[in-house]
Amino acid sequence: MLDDKNTAPSTTTSSASGNIIMVTDGVNIPDHREWRLINAWSLSLGGAICALLALCFIWPDPYLQVLSFLPDGLMVTFEVTVLSILCAVPLGLLTGLGRISRNSFINLAASTYVEIIRGIPLLVQIFYIYYALAKFLQVSGLTSAVIAISFCYGAYMGEVFRAGIMAIPKGQTEAARSLGFNRFQTMFFVILPQAWRTILPPVGNECIAMLKDTSLVSVMAMPDLMQRGRSFAAKTYLYFETYTIIALIYLIITLLLSKAVSIMEARLNYYDKRK
Amino acid sequence: MFRSLLLSIVTLGLLCGPACAADKIIVASDPTWPPMEFLDDQKNVIGYDPDMITAVAKEAGMEAEVRNIAWDGIFAGVAAGNYDVVASGVTITPEREKAFDFSKPYYEVRQIVVVRKGVACKSFDDLKGKSIGGQIGTTGIFVAQKDAASSQIKEYEDVGLAMQDLINNRIDAVICDSPVALYYANKKQGFTEKLSIAFKTEASESFAFVVKKGRKDLVEKLNRGIDAVRAKGIEAELMKKWLGE
Repeated sequence: MLDDKNTAPSTTTSSASGNIIMVTDGVNIPDHREWRLINAWSLSLGGAICALLALCFIWPDPYLQVLSFLPDGLMVTFEVTVLSILCAVPLGLLTGLGRISRNSFINLAASTYVEIIRGIPLLVQIFYIYYALAKFLQVSGLTSAVIAISFCYGAYMGEVFRAGIMAIPKGQTEAARSLGFNRFQTMFFVILPQAWRTILPPVGNECIAMLKDTSLVSVMAMPDLMQRGRSFAAKTYLYFETYTIIALIYLIITLLLSKAVSIMEARLNYYDKRK
Repeated sequence: MFRSLLLSIVTLGLLCGPACAADKIIVASDPTWPPMEFLDDQKNVIGYDPDMITAVAKEAGMEAEVRNIAWDGIFAGVAAGNYDVVASGVTITPEREKAFDFSKPYYEVRQIVVVRKGVACKSFDDLKGKSIGGQIGTTGIFVAQKDAASSQIKEYEDVGLAMQDLINNRIDAVICDSPVALYYANKKQGFTEKLSIAFKTEASESFAFVVKKGRKDLVEKLNRGIDAVRAKGIEAELMKKWLGE
């Protein structure tokens, strides 16, 4: 769950091929080298899609009704997720850079931000921004959701970026600096392009975990996938049917996303593969 | 030592469990619906419904234990048999009657729409294109979905959060049962000076106690209890105490 995520995604080993073992609460990123037809990923996705289709064909009432009630909720879920990713990744990069900054003020600011945000459950943050801060300034549900989620995940991603940047050997910086690059150029033209390969899988993982956590925004009356399901269940009292469909939809989306991350990872590691 | 102690407790529980269950009913109530049910400072569930079910159970020769259960699952819990009765201002609706059994009605309500003070609003037509809030899964939301289809409907965890958002200008109206609306508009500190009643719906609704489908024995007992409570004038007392009627 959210609140025990304090164990930051930490780099445990970094082998020559650039693989990093990450511990997060995201789904398993499938290994692109695993080309067998039947693996955990294809089994889960196939099973989920088959189950969804079978339920809707065999018992259109109520399963198809549930399904047709949900699309606008799914759009809200995607909207919140995409906007939050767009805010959280730059925020994470800034935080990561701040955490390794030599300027002690910036370093302290970034570290404090990470410490505070990681110590507060996301659900509490959402309540805080939407209901508690409403005393001083009122923002819409969507804005509150994006702010709460991107602030929370920005902190986690900051640690990922920091770990990824630290994993690049110091010789790279020294070489770039001795060739006359300034610190900014070294970071953006030499270090980050290399670090990106190790950063991408855990960042992808965080994005998938983020999609799952958007279900929390239903507490502030945002009509997302989860809330649509809850109101359907509250109206029809079909709890089993509704939440089965909701779970299958979340599962299918996260599995597809994890495949997308894995393909991106494979492309970035193109040169490793040829070795 | 520890093991034998545990064993004796388990044995005692097994022996006592069925014996106690015969005349004890577990009651679920969602204390976010003042004055029908809400929490006091000691976190006890108080209000009209808990008092009513306790009196009804007593008249029927049972003992009621009221538990705090969140609304968004209160029906799933009674269907699963986690508790015997839901006494939480539940309106009888045809959909609910399909899934659950009801006691005889014990209270009549209507839906009331609450707006900010100074806002003119006489019917759902005045709320076209505006947003109406309410508690998820309550009849207020169902009425709004039916009669105010051109308004945006926002479903909150509990009605208090909806009222808070109304004060914060994020929504334009809140719809809920009449006792709750009157409580917020006339009694609740911090809300009365900012809220006013806009209008009442025509159709009235009846509150009743909910039990799992097929538990006719319990329905019968509850009905007997309600009759006795009415005959003895306890109902009138409770109405005066909680609803000021």
